[in-house]
Amino acid sequence: MKWIGSLAIMLSLAAKGLPQDAYQKSRSDMVKYQIENRGVSDEATLAAMRKVERHLFVPDSYRGQAYSDGPLPIGYGQTISQPYIVACMTELCEPKAGFKVLEIGTGSGYQAAVLAEIVDEVYTIEIVKALGEQARARLKKLGYGNVHVRIGDGYYGWEEQGPYDAIIVTAAAEYIPPPLVKQLKAGGRMVIPVGSPFLVQTLMLVEKVGGRTKTKSLFPVRFVPFTRSGN
Amino acid sequence: MLKPLWSYSLSLALLSMAVIAFELVLMQVFSITQWYHFAYMVISVAMLGFGAAGTFLAFFEKWLLQRYEQAFPLFLFLCGASMAGVIGLSNADAVRFDTYLLLNDWRQLGRLAATYLLFFIPFFLAALAMGLTFVRFAGQIGRLYFADLLGSGLGGLLAIGLLWCFPPWEIPAWLAFLPMLAGWISMKKRGGSLLNMAGVVAVLLAGTAVFFPPRPRLSEYKSLSKTLLLPGASVEYQKNSPQGLIQAVSSPALRYAPALSLNFQGEVPIRKAVFQNGDWIGAVVPAPQPGSPYILDYTAGALPFVLQKPGRVLVLQAGTGEQAAHALAHGAERISWVSTTPVLLKLLRNELAAETDSLVFQPGLRFYELEPRTFLYTDTNTYNLILLPPVSTFGGTAGLNALQEQYGMTMEAFRQMWRRLEADGMLSISCWMDYPVRNPLKILASMVAVLEEEGISDKQAHLIAVRSWGGLAFALKKSPFTEKEVQAARAFCDDMLFDPLLLPGLRPGERQQYNQIQDSLFFDYVDAMLSPQREAFFEAYDFNVRPATDGRPYFSQFLRWQSLPALAEMWGSHNLPFLEAGYLIVLLTFAQMMLAALVLIILPLFRLGFRGGNKGWIVLYFGGLGLGYMFVEIVLIQQFILFFGQPVLATAAVISILLIASGLGSFCSGRWNILSRKLWIAPTLIALMLFAYLFLLPPAFEQAIGLPLAAKLALLLLLAAPPGFAMGLPFPTGIRYLSENKHSSIPWAWGINGYFSVISTALATIIAVELGFWWVMALAAGVYGSTAVCSMAVDRASPGQGLPG
Repeated sequence: MKWIGSLAIMLSLAAKGLPQDAYQKSRSDMVKYQIENRGVSDEATLAAMRKVERHLFVPDSYRGQAYSDGPLPIGYGQTISQPYIVACMTELCEPKAGFKVLEIGTGSGYQAAVLAEIVDEVYTIEIVKALGEQARARLKKLGYGNVHVRIGDGYYGWEEQGPYDAIIVTAAAEYIPPPLVKQLKAGGRMVIPVGSPFLVQTLMLVEKVGGRTKTKSLFPVRFVPFTRSGN
Repeated sequence: MLKPLWSYSLSLALLSMAVIAFELVLMQVFSITQWYHFAYMVISVAMLGFGAAGTFLAFFEKWLLQRYEQAFPLFLFLCGASMAGVIGLSNADAVRFDTYLLLNDWRQLGRLAATYLLFFIPFFLAALAMGLTFVRFAGQIGRLYFADLLGSGLGGLLAIGLLWCFPPWEIPAWLAFLPMLAGWISMKKRGGSLLNMAGVVAVLLAGTAVFFPPRPRLSEYKSLSKTLLLPGASVEYQKNSPQGLIQAVSSPALRYAPALSLNFQGEVPIRKAVFQNGDWIGAVVPAPQPGSPYILDYTAGALPFVLQKPGRVLVLQAGTGEQAAHALAHGAERISWVSTTPVLLKLLRNELAAETDSLVFQPGLRFYELEPRTFLYTDTNTYNLILLPPVSTFGGTAGLNALQEQYGMTMEAFRQMWRRLEADGMLSISCWMDYPVRNPLKILASMVAVLEEEGISDKQAHLIAVRSWGGLAFALKKSPFTEKEVQAARAFCDDMLFDPLLLPGLRPGERQQYNQIQDSLFFDYVDAMLSPQREAFFEAYDFNVRPATDGRPYFSQFLRWQSLPALAEMWGSHNLPFLEAGYLIVLLTFAQMMLAALVLIILPLFRLGFRGGNKGWIVLYFGGLGLGYMFVEIVLIQQFILFFGQPVLATAAVISILLIASGLGSFCSGRWNILSRKLWIAPTLIALMLFAYLFLLPPAFEQAIGLPLAAKLALLLLLAAPPGFAMGLPFPTGIRYLSENKHSSIPWAWGINGYFSVISTALATIIAVELGFWWVMALAAGVYGSTAVCSMAVDRASPGQGLPG
């Protein structure tokens, strides 16, 4: 009867392996059709997007749609961003090894994981306690030791670890907190999505140039709603 | 042995009172949990319940009539129990939908349909009880119909009273006792143990809901829901009112500084925030301290104060008083604070007085509890500065305000504001940048149109606009801007890292010094607005950015159907719903309702067959009555909101007067012989009246808008009661005609009337958005006119036919 046991082991392995393969294919299709085809070309960003298992960052009920071309709800009025947007924001940061990046609005932790594949350290702050705790546990389980999650108000940034080469404000507020501008290195880049929740949004790049802070509203994208103080 | 007729009349009146109050309260509940849009859904669901009950009765009338004494109270007990239970059940995951996800997750559509069905139940049961009674006492239908409509009229007033006392979600449980009381009144002393048990269970259910009221779950995406997720956030104060639920929230992480300059170095202060029906209406700001910097000076909204020192200031829709406080900080001598939410003002005066450093007690403030337009009609003062509330919100409204009437933002409003300005006075308004650009262009279009009407050729000389990283502020001056003012605007931009968008003598490259926009077409659009090609631009632009008018007061409605192919090409067809979601959701709801009405009302009737002649007349007559009544009601509500300046009072007064007058009309329909004999007379009277109103109402309102409230109410009675009375006549007259001549068609008459009633509310709104309210009224007149014409043919075919009185 040994063969029955072996068959059972083989079947269970196959059952575990099948969805994994399916997700790999979905992920590589996502990168090819949703991201590369729309003009994202930074190799490090593309590699990170191919590697990070997005389906592990979405609620079980949405797992089948993890690699679809849109945002998905993760509870608490929050969403995991459309894959294309995550890639755009990552590319706009011009991330490199050795970089230290601050993220305001951890959400599911997906953006932090993508950044963590490229840069040295990611510091991320989530104001919604339950979301922050889930993300922290998820990132730890997935082995992202270079992502540091703090639960609290993103207004003050994470001063002890600053200044930062790049700041991503996924939880954009109707004002840009002055401490964040202060914690951005000279020549550093801050990326913020602006626009209607679930609708068309634009990405805004904030740069410190010659002692003055300037903004650049970039191309429109479809994005997600954020939690923010005041609205 | 039946109970006397008065007991059934009383039961019907109590039931109708509960049903109308329940409907109005549900509108508030949906405004809180979802968005104002779903008010239309509630009306349609109620009509669907009534229509489906008619169809149900067509099949089971005989069986139910044999058991009338048990069936009537049983329906009333079940109706009460369902009223008490639906709010709690609507929280269940299988039913609860989210507006924002409707276009993103197809499962939400199923939940929306389940929500219709859930809220449909109490209306269906109520209508079964009513319809069965009408059939049982067909000879006294006039009296019963009168009791029904009288109860409905009182129900509107009851709802308003209760909304002052309780949060809306607690009210249905209280209302549930009315149908139950009606059930006990109409029940025989020995009603049977099962019936008694049903009554007791229903009372226990309602009692449980009263003592443990189910709190509805708000959409995750409403601003209140998100704010309550902030650490330490809590609702500190809550005030009930028919204008909506006002809640003040605090959190140590709640800050307010809209589109703050990136040059601001200080600490953004923590504020409490106030919400109306779960939507953000403003931050609670303190009175300014002399000499200390004011954070709003670091926003584009400070533009008018940089240009001039304000003297007399008018703040329209003052909300929590942010703009009034800002004007005080710049030394305004007198500020007129116009607001339509007295309960908010009470909150600022009492519970939040310490928080605001007694802002509302500052000398120089004058308070007016009126709609901005009504205030502008009656006020005779002139101002140095008029401030309008900021348009849109950060992140946009997703078109969810598309169907909200904004009389304060129409061309007529801008014209009135211009007249209230001093010779060198200014009008200022700020907004958030959006993409594709809509709000800034519509604001500019409205300002340019005023300048055009005033015959000002050099429009640039009267306009300054500055742009921050996320927001814009416009200033329109009655006289040309001086060189000093232009330089002040320039210096303000440099200090704050803003860019001038419109400025007399604007230099090349000046528009994008600090805040670049990759899609620079925005600047071409702005220039087109000021060029002679403005009309061509309106025609060519993908969104409707023409100024709103009183006839089509939908400032936030931007969708143009003819642009859909171009937009689909540019954005991808799958992204189209995300550009203007609000209006599309209304269309989606409308389509679902049409389908539901077809399935629940019309299709089952085919099993009965639709035989004999006069089918066309039945469709036109009863369909027309269903459509016409709601069209007239909606237009009159809109017109009187502007006239009274108090939306809740106007809505309640119009609905109550129309229903009571219609009840009287129904009561008289059987007694006036001539009306009973000629089907065409009543619709002709109505059509003529409505036709006259098309031309008489607007000038009459303009003349009478300054009258005191009592006189206005008298005028409302004078204007709304006659069409209300006349509109109560034709339905019972038509039913009597059918019961004499074509009894088998009565279910069809009910069904067709029900079907058109279901679709009429949303349809009237869609017509108002596309064509304007004038056309809704004109169509109502046309519908009643065609009802009259087709009835003439029926009257001619049976000239000697007398209808029973």
